[in-house]
Amino acid sequence: MLPAMLQFLLHGLTVLLLPPLLPGLIAKTKALMAGRKGPPVLQLYYDLAKLARKRAVFSRTTTWVFLAGPVGGVAAVLVASCLVPFGHTPAPVSFQGDVILFAYLFGLARFLTILSALDTGSSFEGMGAAREATFSALAEPALFLGFAALAKANASLSLGTMLAFPGSLTARFTGPLILILAGWVIVYLVENSRIPVDDPNTHLELTMIHEVMVLDHSGRPFALVLYGASLKLLVLGALILTPALPRAPQAWQNWLAFYAALAGLAVGVGLVESSMARFRMTKVPQFLVAGVLATAFAFLLMLV
Amino acid sequence: MLDVALVLASSGCWFAGALVSASPRAPERLATGLGLLGSILALGAALHLLLGGTASGLDFRVWGLPARLELDALSAAFLLPLHLVGGLGLIYGQRYWPVQLAWGSGRSLRFFYGLLVAAMTLLFLARHGLVFLVAWELMAVSAFFLVGSEHEKPEVRRASWIYLACTHTGTLLLTAMVILLARRSGGLLWRVLPAATSPWLEGGILLLAVMGFGFKAGLLPLHFWLPSAHASAPSHVSAILSAVMLKAGVYGILRVSSLLPGIPRGVGGALLALGALTALYGVGNALAQRDYKRLLAYSSIENLGVIAMGVGLGWTGRATHDPWLMALGFGGAIFHVWNHALFKSLLFYGAGALLHATGTRDMEALGGLARRMPRTALAVFPAVLAVAALPPFNAFLSEWFLYRGLFASLGRGYPWSAALGLVALALAGGLAAVAFARFFGTLFLGSPRSELADHAHDPAGSMLLPMAVLAGLCLAVGLGAFLLLPLLDRVIAVVAPGTPALLAAGLRVDFHLLAGVELGLLALVGAGLAWLRRSAEAPAADLPTWDCGYAAAVARAQYTGSSFADAWAPVQPGLRARRPRLRGLFPGGSSFRQAFREPVGEVLLEPRVVRVAERLLRFRRFQQGHLPIYILYVLLTLLGAFLWMLLRGRLLG
Repeated sequence: MLPAMLQFLLHGLTVLLLPPLLPGLIAKTKALMAGRKGPPVLQLYYDLAKLARKRAVFSRTTTWVFLAGPVGGVAAVLVASCLVPFGHTPAPVSFQGDVILFAYLFGLARFLTILSALDTGSSFEGMGAAREATFSALAEPALFLGFAALAKANASLSLGTMLAFPGSLTARFTGPLILILAGWVIVYLVENSRIPVDDPNTHLELTMIHEVMVLDHSGRPFALVLYGASLKLLVLGALILTPALPRAPQAWQNWLAFYAALAGLAVGVGLVESSMARFRMTKVPQFLVAGVLATAFAFLLMLV
Repeated sequence: MLDVALVLASSGCWFAGALVSASPRAPERLATGLGLLGSILALGAALHLLLGGTASGLDFRVWGLPARLELDALSAAFLLPLHLVGGLGLIYGQRYWPVQLAWGSGRSLRFFYGLLVAAMTLLFLARHGLVFLVAWELMAVSAFFLVGSEHEKPEVRRASWIYLACTHTGTLLLTAMVILLARRSGGLLWRVLPAATSPWLEGGILLLAVMGFGFKAGLLPLHFWLPSAHASAPSHVSAILSAVMLKAGVYGILRVSSLLPGIPRGVGGALLALGALTALYGVGNALAQRDYKRLLAYSSIENLGVIAMGVGLGWTGRATHDPWLMALGFGGAIFHVWNHALFKSLLFYGAGALLHATGTRDMEALGGLARRMPRTALAVFPAVLAVAALPPFNAFLSEWFLYRGLFASLGRGYPWSAALGLVALALAGGLAAVAFARFFGTLFLGSPRSELADHAHDPAGSMLLPMAVLAGLCLAVGLGAFLLLPLLDRVIAVVAPGTPALLAAGLRVDFHLLAGVELGLLALVGAGLAWLRRSAEAPAADLPTWDCGYAAAVARAQYTGSSFADAWAPVQPGLRARRPRLRGLFPGGSSFRQAFREPVGEVLLEPRVVRVAERLLRFRRFQQGHLPIYILYVLLTLLGAFLWMLLRGRLLG
């Protein structure tokens, strides 16, 4: 067993250093699928280093709220990352009810991003903000119904024990678990603005959701936005991977399993993006309702 | 004994202040000073009691019958927001609604404001049916005059009349409840009733209480008076109405149910469901409002729904003798009462500052106010986060209580109501975030949509000070909530007699960790801002928004509040839109209209009420306007009563 302090240190280092790798993996997968060479896997690290040295440009309509989006977004998700276990490893902070804090920290990040988009007074950014607000309000019940099903399964309200509980892979819970994960993968795609909900690489502002909200950010604020987005890929990824991972006897095995699963998730997202197109905007709410229904059925199965 | 005397003195101070400000050439300083003194006295007494004092009472006689005033933890819990918001509103109102105004009457406003606070202070002390009803009516009637402050406007008159009709219907139900209660306990004094003899009587009392107090608290079908009344009142009055007077309904429900020996099973679940519906209805309609004060009023309906969910959860706990559920449900409800009082009065003060600066309640005419009114924007920002229940502000914690309670009841045989409550709370939270992103974004961010907003400026210091105090409290409660847990325990012990104190012991560790995490969040935000500040050169000055390279961006092209919430229009029953149909490649000019009508009040009830009122017109002929005829009516009634008394024995045997 690794001592707890060492594990927490590893947790912190993972949160700080690993995230920019994930968008790189996704992009590489997509490039390879399309028969291109693609940018290097470490591209986002280079981008962040470059942006950190660049001067930011601010519009004359913006105020301090414009900075609250990037800063608050990263801060909230960083704090949330302390609450979630990475696979079968302990979460640094864990208490009864931390799952609610986790969900609302993501709400905070989203809220501040929306406000900083509205601060520019641009009609495009207002449009993105409105879409983000609508879709995320629909994603919330899916997240909470999933939590309710897991809470019912193991009578705990702490992410550390809810997600990584020992019986998660037994026959009794397989059905509900699959449904929860199906619903949460939808939430994952929405929250991370991925195809089929949103396309981070599109070049038509009218069709964007998340990208259009940060059109006016530049320099260091934009570096924070990009880092925050990759951090979300990691933290929400841990949320959906942990219940599906088997528990290994050794701590280092658990860490390795988590990293492997994370890489697999990134490749999986890349495969989804290569194999399908973005939904029309009117289809997105239906997709989200499908996620809510999946978790609702999981909850029903837990009741019987 | 001392505590209750202090609170009585506070009520007296407010009443004296009201009288002083009603006198011609009123010395405003004296009146304000009296009110503030009253607030300090009451706050001191309430805090003293909550921090460890014992409940104290004052017995006296009304017309030879025993009556009682008592200050216990539940009274104190409601006196706190009353006197905080009451005192701050007094300071705010001095500049917001000066005495020497050509329009409206500053004097009558001050008089009824003082009377309202004095009456509500008395209301929270009363332990006697008659005293309670008198205080209730004083409160309701002074609120009527306050709502009608700008009575030269027809819509204000309409709003205040609808309010008066509703509040009196509520009083009628409450009178019936007081009579039933007196019947059950054998006197008008309110004390804890002995074990149940007839569940029907108790069910009736509870039902009448929920309906009568529900009118005041804005529970679902009885909420329709609320939005227009709160939008029409002067803003600091809206603040106290929303922050405290609605809670008087919650207080009544909690007080009356605490007198009953038990709560029938199923009532808690029903109230939980009603609260969930109210919350969703309130927040859904808040999304549709263009008038920002009406938006705040609908958000009050949402929050009262959330509080009702907590009370319902607590009742479920009482019915099943589950102390943990009671602690989380009642604790969440009372905590949310406090939190809502803090952030909603702050929001109404902010709305008042906007109204003061721009003269319009139409969101779509404003915008870009964060640049023109930076202090107001900064003060309102915490309230906007709090109302969306986001950490690290106070309302997150009370909703956290409710979530924990709902999750706890999942495992205890109430999975259905718990699942409904969870989904409703999560969805209401998400929608509140949309509604208030729209509120803050449309009013304060972007560029001004009209001349009105362009020349706005921050209000005077005496209006900013109350807002700063409340904003500070929103954050302080969010971080220091573990200090409040023992206080909540004391209140719960009153609401559900015989409950052990659980919160202080059971949640202390969780709340410390929560506070630690929130401090970490604030520290990270600080570090991030410092890092951004340190970026090398000063930013290039005076550039427009990039807007995808479109050079001639105008303010009118911004997303409006209505378009921000447009995706939700199909599920908003009150919103009627006339969308033009565009045909061909070069369609001519066209227009789009959208209007909101309150779904229950204006769409459902009003046509029917009008029809009944027309039918009742035929009784008009009895109303002759001649005094002798009225005397004749009185005489005839008396005669009838005498005849009945004479003949009753014969007729009924």
